[in-house]
Amino acid sequence: MTTLFRRGLSVPLAGPALPLEAAPEMTLTEESAISATQEADFRVDLLAEEGAMVAQGQPVLRSRRQPEIVLTAPVAGRIARVELGPGRRLSRLIIFREDAGGRHRHEGRDRRAALLESGMWTAFRSRPFGRFAAPDEAPSAIFVMAADTRPMAPDPHRALAGRKEDFARGLSALSELAERLHLVQGDGPDLAPTSHRLRVHRAGRLHPDGLAGSHIHRHHPARPGRPVWDIAAEDVAGIGELLRTGHVPQTRLVSVAGPALREARLVRCQPGADLRELTWRLVTPGARLLLTGSALDGREAQFLGLRDRQVTVLPRPEPAPPPHWFRGALSRASRPLPLIPTAALDQSMAGGIPVLPLLRALSAGDAETVERLGGLSLLEEDVALADYITGAEPRMAGLLRAMLDRIESGAA
Amino acid sequence: MIRGIWTRETAALLLLAAALPVAVMWVVHGGPEVLGRLVFVLVMAGIWHLVFMLARAQPPSFSGAHAALLIAMLAPQGLGPVQLVLGISFGVVVAELAFGGWGRNVLNPATVTLAFLGFGYPAAPWPELQVTLGWAAIPAALIGVGFGVVPWRVFAGAFAVALVAWATGAALPREVLTAALVILALIVAEPVTSAATHLGRWLNGALYAALVLAFGAFWLDAAPVQLAISAALLTSLAAPLLDEIAIACWFARRARRLGRKRLG
Repeated sequence: MTTLFRRGLSVPLAGPALPLEAAPEMTLTEESAISATQEADFRVDLLAEEGAMVAQGQPVLRSRRQPEIVLTAPVAGRIARVELGPGRRLSRLIIFREDAGGRHRHEGRDRRAALLESGMWTAFRSRPFGRFAAPDEAPSAIFVMAADTRPMAPDPHRALAGRKEDFARGLSALSELAERLHLVQGDGPDLAPTSHRLRVHRAGRLHPDGLAGSHIHRHHPARPGRPVWDIAAEDVAGIGELLRTGHVPQTRLVSVAGPALREARLVRCQPGADLRELTWRLVTPGARLLLTGSALDGREAQFLGLRDRQVTVLPRPEPAPPPHWFRGALSRASRPLPLIPTAALDQSMAGGIPVLPLLRALSAGDAETVERLGGLSLLEEDVALADYITGAEPRMAGLLRAMLDRIESGAA
Repeated sequence: MIRGIWTRETAALLLLAAALPVAVMWVVHGGPEVLGRLVFVLVMAGIWHLVFMLARAQPPSFSGAHAALLIAMLAPQGLGPVQLVLGISFGVVVAELAFGGWGRNVLNPATVTLAFLGFGYPAAPWPELQVTLGWAAIPAALIGVGFGVVPWRVFAGAFAVALVAWATGAALPREVLTAALVILALIVAEPVTSAATHLGRWLNGALYAALVLAFGAFWLDAAPVQLAISAALLTSLAAPLLDEIAIACWFARRARRLGRKRLG
């Protein structure tokens, strides 16, 4: 359904525009890593030792909590270093590329087992709470995201170019997992025919209309016991490819952009690629901040994140001199900063969510109201735009994460 | 990672900018005498902001100047400095600073000050607003809506009710209309103390217009400013209730669309 006025905002980001015509360059970086933040609390067992040679797609890490979930090597090569935090929490596993490793072939058994063994399972993100989908979880719906409105995000339609059959095969595999599929896409012809199990939704060009959270909140809200998954359309085509060939797809379409670049580009690189190599010779001189993810919700990192499809390079802000003690005391004492409703804030969440009541409830730690307003369908990325607009301190994204964790531990 | 520029003070400065057309008109008509009054109110409000900054570590805000301008413009005439100081202190402290400053307050300090002075000193005459001030309220509203610091739905709600009233033949004297417009543009539509949801804002504007119409029809010995301020006070007291109504409606609509089963 198209509406006359699309809600949302365009986030201005200086810097060179992404090339529209040129085909994405194939770049496999020398180093790559599977990384996780300590907050993600992902505890692992190693399936291959440091120094071992692994094939692309070969399982290298196994989740301790859910042993069915494995992560596979993004490239063929040698495991250079494994960094684990306390309690065997994964920090990162670094692989040096050596093409001699070859590709690991996954023999197809049933679909669920194939997805789990190949590591493609981790492409699903389960809401509420935004974790890996549990191996035995039956989602009530899966949202396939063929739209992305984050600033400088690559167009998912381009990622699907020439992979129509794989995409269709992937969709049919997904329809065995869930009763209902929702496909969110931009302009152009429908990527899949509508049926009683699959609905096609259109996303506008304005942020946050191309985020899964907006559509999940609007069409199929998640709650405990009734999880909703989302997955990028490119990964669905990847699942199709896996089922056809037995190989885990080697690359994904990633945009490298940002104000601190001389030239923006689209590349096809492996998951977990080295950001320094991707931005090599493109960065303008000076201190720079390499983000995995968009300028709104990205985080500083050396390697591409598990789900990220963009790299943003920002000028590193000058370290500010410590504020005058009085000013510092004033700004510390007034936190959380009050929220002033503006027209932009109203537009910062799609789906007609009462934005200010939701943010006020978040800021006050009122979990009941947040749940009532549909906050369980949202994740950090969905409130990142509100953070940008209000300059909220502490950040709404962090408050939402903390609240989701609290609700999760209470619900368990 | 990146942050925008829309902090609280940006919004406060834009709100001040939106009030400028009315302020300029008021100064042009009133001359140096009103300027003195403005400075007096600014200093008094500023002192309270300073006290709260030193005692409670609350950063002062430009919105204090916005409130001071409204108080100077709309306060009853002929009050002595002591009475004014009492009124300003009550309004600024109890309505705004005690809640933690602008952005956390429930009532507009100007509304509370004016209501306090009106109830406390009923013999003092209310100011007569020039008709040009009413006209100046239109660009004020446009600036506010254009920059997005003032919700347009409040105006839309008020005009919807005004249209209905006009169609049914209800008429207000020009003085009442002027005062109602100025107070609608500068006080009722202020973003923090008006309703925060879409439907709530429509209701907020509509309630204000309906109250002004009702007071105009039945409260015969009230001065125009007094009447509009009373309507504004009652409206902003009702704003949280209007928001609750709006959220209940949103929730009911959502439940109907998605089905109860999905919402649990």
